[in-house]
Amino acid sequence: MTRLMASERPVREAENRLERFNSDRERLLAEVERRVVARKIVEAKTGGDASLEYVLNDVAYCEIRRLEGSKSGGVDRWRELSRRLLGMSEDEKREELRGLVGHYGRDIVGNFDPRVYRFATGIGPSLLGFLFSPTATLRDGMNSLRNLDARIHADGEIDLARACAERGTIVVTPTHSSNMDSPAIGLGLLRARLPPTTYGAGKNLFSNPFISFFMRNLGAYRVDRRLRFELYKDVLKEYSTVLLEHGYHSLFFPGGTRCRSNLVEKQLKLGLLGTTVTAYKNSVREGAPHKRIYIVPATINYRLVLEAETLIDDYLAETGKNRYIITDDEFNRVGRLLEFFRKILVHEGSVVVRFGRPLDPFGNDITDDGESIDRAGRAVDPASFVRGADGEVSDDDQRDAEYTRTLGRRLAAAYPRLTVFHSTTLVARVLYDAISQHAGTRDIYRLLRAPQGHLEVPVDAAIAGLERLRARIAREPAHGSEHPLHRDQPSSAKLDDAIRGLATYHTRPIVERTGQDNGLLQVKDVKLLYYYQNRTAHIPPEGSP
Amino acid sequence: MMVRRADTVGIVGAGAFGTGLGSVLARAGRRVVMWSRDPAIVDAIQTGRRSPRLPSAELPASLEATTDPRHLAASARFLVLAVTSRVVRDRARELGDVLDGSHIVVHAIGALAAPTNERVSEVMAAGLPTLKVGVLAGPALPADLAEGRFSSMVVASAFDEVASEARRLLNAPPNLRVYSSKDLVGVELASALAGAYTVALGLSDGLGMTAGPRAVLVTRAVAEASRLGMAAGAQARTFAGLAGLGNLLVRASGDRSADYVLGRRLAEGVIPPDTARTEGARAALAGTELAKSLRVRMPVLQGVAAVLAGTASPREAAAMIGDTVAVEE
Repeated sequence: MTRLMASERPVREAENRLERFNSDRERLLAEVERRVVARKIVEAKTGGDASLEYVLNDVAYCEIRRLEGSKSGGVDRWRELSRRLLGMSEDEKREELRGLVGHYGRDIVGNFDPRVYRFATGIGPSLLGFLFSPTATLRDGMNSLRNLDARIHADGEIDLARACAERGTIVVTPTHSSNMDSPAIGLGLLRARLPPTTYGAGKNLFSNPFISFFMRNLGAYRVDRRLRFELYKDVLKEYSTVLLEHGYHSLFFPGGTRCRSNLVEKQLKLGLLGTTVTAYKNSVREGAPHKRIYIVPATINYRLVLEAETLIDDYLAETGKNRYIITDDEFNRVGRLLEFFRKILVHEGSVVVRFGRPLDPFGNDITDDGESIDRAGRAVDPASFVRGADGEVSDDDQRDAEYTRTLGRRLAAAYPRLTVFHSTTLVARVLYDAISQHAGTRDIYRLLRAPQGHLEVPVDAAIAGLERLRARIAREPAHGSEHPLHRDQPSSAKLDDAIRGLATYHTRPIVERTGQDNGLLQVKDVKLLYYYQNRTAHIPPEGSP
Repeated sequence: MMVRRADTVGIVGAGAFGTGLGSVLARAGRRVVMWSRDPAIVDAIQTGRRSPRLPSAELPASLEATTDPRHLAASARFLVLAVTSRVVRDRARELGDVLDGSHIVVHAIGALAAPTNERVSEVMAAGLPTLKVGVLAGPALPADLAEGRFSSMVVASAFDEVASEARRLLNAPPNLRVYSSKDLVGVELASALAGAYTVALGLSDGLGMTAGPRAVLVTRAVAEASRLGMAAGAQARTFAGLAGLGNLLVRASGDRSADYVLGRRLAEGVIPPDTARTEGARAALAGTELAKSLRVRMPVLQGVAAVLAGTASPREAAAMIGDTVAVEE
């Protein structure tokens, strides 16, 4: 079945399809508007919740509720719509619907400025380097500036992902633990010579003017999570579907929001991921089943996470009700952001992006030639998944949602193997194991109350634990792997490196050396230790069956 | 008249259940294509309109038998996998060579797949290209189907389309009525565990237990199976439905079930070798392991497993069950 290994292909940069995005934009928006309005009008014929009156009222009601408390005003426009609704003719309702779909489409749509892209991928990193590490920059000269993006290490199934990007449309689906993920994966794609992707970014991220400038001009589209009415979701999904159908490579975070716990994500949200099935189904219906869509799992692995303190606090909040949108975290504090760049991103490979083998939209594996194969390794026609008994393409939202759940399960199953362990993560795990054993529990809430004496670990014991953990990881690649640049590092050096990181970046050291000859490691912040060790939580404790 | 592929039911396997099901559907006017690997059976059906596996079944001309799996896949999109738990893995692999992603396959195997004791839908997922799989279960005996007596079954799948197509194509009232459920895991577990509890009932009957204790055993069996099901992600009420209680009552109501016969033999002190274990015996042992891993208390199942393993006598097992503390029902 396999004719040519992807690695034997000549490596060349995949085409940047976003170059043509701006000239396509109006056409794409018109297509979104046409489809959403047509569908809503057809659905309205069934009456009840689907009637246009209900759809428009839902928008007005949600917008009034959102804007009532805000200072920006604008609530009158929605109150006025609410008042007019009862007296509107069907034609007027259709016009209102068309106007709203157009409005939200324009709110969502992205922009791609090739000049900004060239800046960001060329001189941009150099300038960023100067901004973020001026001393080192002056010292090391222009060469180090040009290598700033070396701090992002990209590896994995890059050749195959690139081949898929040439043959069809790729959807990169990384784990999500930080607001830095968007720039990190962007640079990761660049490092991997994969094409840039469009992606949906929470509107709250645009509050950081620096990041916002790049996001607005590099293909990101805005997702306003405050708009919870169906019409907005429909426009958003249709926009993503149309982008995929037109061959624009995309990026979704299937975890939805940032993972608060730092666990490797298991529960994925369907969200926009479902648009891969819809887009492919539409292509099959249009007689173009060869327009394949490939989902590329990826993990983004940080030496230290910018917003770790806020995220773990949120995760462990006593109420258990995590905030879906956080607007006051480290990402929104310029000082902390600079600190992150200065202290973390100056390390080579401080972020590792690992790409996995692509899947088709139904969760099937693919060959090196991009053909779908079933679980038994047989070729299977992906178009058959959306066809009915007589070969016609059939619409079935529940079926498609189930396909997407299957895809989500496959992605979640792929993530552990793609996880890369930095020294910080490994040492956090070793220390967490040691203090858990001392306290007789792995329960974080009980460990938070453990006496100081239970939070000390001899350095020798930590190194021995690290040796054993590294050996277990080497034996079991399904759990992930060590940082590729530091695989041969002695455990004592790895421990030193981890302590440096864990002790210096966050507002409070997580662990410090103490005791005679610095022979003890004192855990100072159990919460953050727990956060970093969580990345290894899928590896069972030593001695468990 | 040409019958559409969408309106045709494919049956994999020409055993007693497959033949009974094919018979009731064909008599109701449905086109049925039955695949068997045995040319003699296919020939008997095609020429004599009778199957040696279920001679009482009348097989109208709208039921076609074939040895060609490609013909089956091309003729029907909706298939019922009606083979034994010992060959399901091989048959799924073979079938997978001719199916694609559009096919719908429900299995009618009331047991766990041998030898690994996985749920059959898991074996199907590994062997078939289609994701649209489901289970068909319930107290429908082949003879009842063949002779036109009242039967009911339940179909379960994560895909609504599987359940709706099963109901559209398999409902043949008044002979066969098909209910639907979304609880795939529950229906499969309930059906398999019903075999294990059939062994328990054979055992208790062999020990001479009277109607009262028998009723308690049935009730507690359903209760503990529900607990295990819930821990495994299923719905409790499934175990009191057709696949659970329904199957248990029918399998333990006569002496035709291999599981029931095994229970009677166990009561006599005969422990069969591993190779002679019935589907119910395997379910008892696998269910006990699952219960252990999910930390679910299952005295009845553990009692059967202990007798099968030779670690407790039938009377000791019965005493073990009787000694458990009664808590809130």
